[in-house]
Amino acid sequence: MHPHGTIVFLPDHGGRKIIENMDTDFSHLDDESLIQQVQQGSHEAFAAMVNRHSNRFYRIAYRLVFNKGDAEDMVQEAFLRLWARPQLWNPGKQAKFTTWFYKVVINLCLDLNKKKKPLDLPEDRELADRKPGQDALLGIHQEQALVDGFIKELPERQQLALNLCFYEGLSNKEAAEILGVKVKALQSLIMRAKTTLKEKVKRHLGGGSI
Amino acid sequence: MNITLKQFKENLLVYGANVHEWPEDIRQAGLKALETSSEFRALLAEEERFERVLTTRRYEEPSRDLAERIVSASQPKKKKVWPSVVGFFSELVWEFSLPKPALTAFSVSLIFVLILGFAIGFANLIGSVSTEGTQTDLQEFLYYEGEVL
Repeated sequence: MHPHGTIVFLPDHGGRKIIENMDTDFSHLDDESLIQQVQQGSHEAFAAMVNRHSNRFYRIAYRLVFNKGDAEDMVQEAFLRLWARPQLWNPGKQAKFTTWFYKVVINLCLDLNKKKKPLDLPEDRELADRKPGQDALLGIHQEQALVDGFIKELPERQQLALNLCFYEGLSNKEAAEILGVKVKALQSLIMRAKTTLKEKVKRHLGGGSI
Repeated sequence: MNITLKQFKENLLVYGANVHEWPEDIRQAGLKALETSSEFRALLAEEERFERVLTTRRYEEPSRDLAERIVSASQPKKKKVWPSVVGFFSELVWEFSLPKPALTAFSVSLIFVLILGFAIGFANLIGSVSTEGTQTDLQEFLYYEGEVL
């Protein structure tokens, strides 16, 4: 008897056996145990993993590709790759599943951005440039577009550091691990990103904003 | 432990405007500095306003069925199975749990009936064709070049 319930073996077209645990509750399992179930062919464990994390990884994908449809496609692609080759996650090498999977999603998003033509700055930017120092007059959409534009202008690694630490709320240590840099280097990236953004926000949205 | 204005500013950038969430070793120094100096408080207020601007960034929620779509896309697609005699019999055995000897006997008898049927059918076909051929020959003979002989 399998520790997680009744098992039905279904033949997969790829030659792999898929295990369906008909009466299993995966909610008590941590990510690492869950991914080990996926590696053994459990499609239900995979579904539990997707339900648990799809929105989380969508958020970072959206912050990187700036588009809902593309972000959803990237998350789907990342999960399908995980299902096709779950052995790529190696518990010996990677401490946490999410740390590793952030890398997968980020790489897919960066590849997509390279394929797409450079994104134009929003039209609202011109308005702000013509009247530097104006405040409060800009609508919320213009402000959003401006902030997006400023972030897009940051170097790639600074964008990543800002997204992971500020928007995703990851610790500096985890973000550094995802980016493959030392914690000090990551902190330097965040400082540079925020300093640049702060200057631009002051210049374009006016000193009253900050 | 005291903290300088420059260090405080750097920590604000790195760890954010919520000083209570700073790492333990610098948190107390940060909170103490805020209590004692208006300069530190002004820096904190500026950082809080800046973070508010950053949070206005556009964001669209994912589709409700995102997870469902991913899971269904990962499910193996069923192969298109062409109908075959072997497949039919296999399914028959599976469906009715027929033992193999019974299946063999059934198959052999069915094949025998089929062969017999074809043989009878062909025999009749050959007979009818020859009769028709004779009739055609007679017509051709009678109406040769449009004239009745």
